[in-house]
Amino acid sequence: MKKQFPALIPFLLLLLMTWVLTAVPARAESTRYKRTVEKYKLPDVVLINQNGKKVSLASMLNTDQPVVVDFIYGTCTTICPVLSAGYTNLQNRLAASGQMPRLISITIDPENDSPNVMKEYLKRYRAKPGWDFYTGRRADIDAVMKGFNAYIPDKMSHYPLNLIRSPKDGSWVRLFGIMSSSELMKEYLQVSGK
Amino acid sequence: MKELGQSLIRKQLPRLVTAALATLLSFVVLICAAPCQADSIPPADLPHSEIMRSGEKMYRDGILPSGAPMLAYIRGDIEVDSSAFSCSSCHLRAGLGSFEGGVITPPTTGKKLYQPYRRPPSLGDITDQSGRVIYAKTIIERPAYTRESLATAMRFGTDPAGQVFNDVMPRYPLSDRDMSILISYLGTLSADPSPGASSSEFRFATVITDDVSQSDRLALLAPLQKFIAQQDQQLKMYSDFNKFGYAPTIDMKYAFRSASLDIWELKGPPESWQKQLAAYNNNKPVFAVLGGISNRDWRPIHDFCEAERLPCLYPITDFPVVSESGWYTYYFNKGYFQEGDAVGRYINRLETLSAKKTILQIVQDSPIGTALASGFQNSWNELEHPAVTTLTLSAEQLRNPSVLHKLLKKHKPGVLLLWTDAELLPQLPKLISLIHPEGIVFVSSGYLGTKTVSVPESVRDKVYISYPYRLTPYVGSQDGGFDAKVPILTTFKDFGDRRITSRSTTMLKQATLRGLNLLYDDLHRDHLLDVMSMQMDLTVRDYERLSFGPGQRFASKGCYIIQLGQGTSPALLPRSEWVIH
Ligand code: HEC
Repeated sequence: MKKQFPALIPFLLLLLMTWVLTAVPARAESTRYKRTVEKYKLPDVVLINQNGKKVSLASMLNTDQPVVVDFIYGTCTTICPVLSAGYTNLQNRLAASGQMPRLISITIDPENDSPNVMKEYLKRYRAKPGWDFYTGRRADIDAVMKGFNAYIPDKMSHYPLNLIRSPKDGSWVRLFGIMSSSELMKEYLQVSGK
Repeated sequence: MKELGQSLIRKQLPRLVTAALATLLSFVVLICAAPCQADSIPPADLPHSEIMRSGEKMYRDGILPSGAPMLAYIRGDIEVDSSAFSCSSCHLRAGLGSFEGGVITPPTTGKKLYQPYRRPPSLGDITDQSGRVIYAKTIIERPAYTRESLATAMRFGTDPAGQVFNDVMPRYPLSDRDMSILISYLGTLSADPSPGASSSEFRFATVITDDVSQSDRLALLAPLQKFIAQQDQQLKMYSDFNKFGYAPTIDMKYAFRSASLDIWELKGPPESWQKQLAAYNNNKPVFAVLGGISNRDWRPIHDFCEAERLPCLYPITDFPVVSESGWYTYYFNKGYFQEGDAVGRYINRLETLSAKKTILQIVQDSPIGTALASGFQNSWNELEHPAVTTLTLSAEQLRNPSVLHKLLKKHKPGVLLLWTDAELLPQLPKLISLIHPEGIVFVSSGYLGTKTVSVPESVRDKVYISYPYRLTPYVGSQDGGFDAKVPILTTFKDFGDRRITSRSTTMLKQATLRGLNLLYDDLHRDHLLDVMSMQMDLTVRDYERLSFGPGQRFASKGCYIIQLGQGTSPALLPRSEWVIH
């Protein structure tokens, strides 16, 4: 933890500058995103990543780093571009200080999203290692959504959600709504305690 | 530690400052550019066709005329290049917008933008649904744009009344020239209604080729003609209501139109089909092709519809064109290809199969055999397995036992793919005795048809069958209602049933009608495809699930691998998921 601290300073500077810069194009007095801290009981399921590899949900979360989760799908309009651009940005910003955040996207269109479709999607968003996209049996995906109190019966009624798991106590910060990248970064850094 | 931090700042700071200044500069350039009004006129040195081509590339692919990706700022401060997503990802190809996940993306066609706009009242911002806050309010009403205010909107995210867009709509720092090209493109996007539709009428056609039997033909035409009759009957009821002084809502005004159906019969060799289609369509253009049926390769019809930008909705074909780029034909599934593809994915997941390495694919020299084999090869390649030994044999060679026996003795495959018709089934016990002792065999229920049930009992535990239809009980009536009391079960009796009537009925009632009703007065073929691609998933009689999405063109993604139980009325035993990844 000590070692990482200095890396934060250039970040904060960068944050500050981006904030100054983006004061230029107009931004709506946006509805603030909603933030809560939750505990979830998650199902014991195995999902399949973009390389066709089976991975259990438990092992994805078994790490001493924060884990960020969102729900997207390969052919989604509107929300997924927004969420995924957020992931790309988080990766780029953290990579500047040698950090590799653990980012998980879970499809809500498991029928269409084969490993190949997911691999193409990650390529389009220039994902770096550390961002994995998962598909699986529909029943398992449904169970995961329900576990996160985020069950969406149909993908067209999808909403933007980011969840960040704290490695300390396994609690989750639940972020509902469209956040700026600085806001997401701030939430991430807060959970990572760095 | 403090020192270390400071030295890092010292090292990083110059770089950061330079980067920041560069970005700042580019904004300054833009701000100055905005009032220059250069984007208020289309570039004079470019021919119209070139403006349209470049504009389409920006709109659909996010690529600038220079070939570089378009830059965008999303969520306020995230810089992205538009190769990941473009205008058409949100505003859709016809430019008439979308409604997904509670976000309304408004139309972005010149026709709509240069007029004051008020969002249809039926599309409200979803308020606090089940305890969830609104996260992306959109603008409800605004005055008309001009070319200049449109440029400002895209650069800075404000409408002509100064209202600020939400953070979903990116901000695009385009040069004057590029902006001007894009704005000219928006001006032509969905500018004129498509042929075959008017405020009072939809004209449709269906395609039937001369290899189709009389009973299959009737199975297709019955639901189609019923659909057309219902449209006309509803229109009549609606006019009667009006006569009695009932005031229609705006939504209703557009929901009722008369409809007509032409039958486009195609005769002779497939090479002549395109010409026949063109003659029909020139004589009386239609808005869309509703269904259709052929036992032959659908490609000539597919290609015609692509070239004419004519929607073709859910034809009955087992030979669709499987491509990533096809746009105008919506298929139920990939036909025989899908069965072969599923077998590849199933074998890939078999962890216990020691003899899996030696796969032998025997293909009957026929269109069906070829389609099954190419489906298998597709998934097998995609999963990065080395190519398998494939032997194509004529029907005569397959009837001659000594040919196959020799081949099997030579290869001793652990997995035998038999893409043949049912003539071979009586030979199966002998053939299986010649493969690896732990070996297994795959066959296609599509190819075997009604005879699938006659896989000899002694080898049923060794034989796996691809089956692309629903297996779980369907709670609903044949034509898509949910009123049936007794669930419909799939049994061995369903082998060989092409489900022409039930599938066409599903397509008409569930998918097409909804799409047509959502058009309102935007009578564009591309818009019909857009709204149909944004449908919710469907649970239907014939498939476990149909799902949609922009660019998705095969509604059913599943295919089971099953085995047969014992006896003359065998149970169908699923050995895989509906969708195998
Ligand atoms: C990530 C999704 C997304 C992308 C990509 C996108 N838009 Fe938008 N656009 C929106 C949304 C959502 C709105 C509505 C914003 C609001 O009302 O606050 C909008 C609004 C607009 C408007 C204003 C419409 C009106 O009636 O005021 C125009 C014009 C527009 N977009 C054009 C474009 C063009 C051109 C592109 C590509 C260069 C593009 N958009 C890319 C989502 C998107």
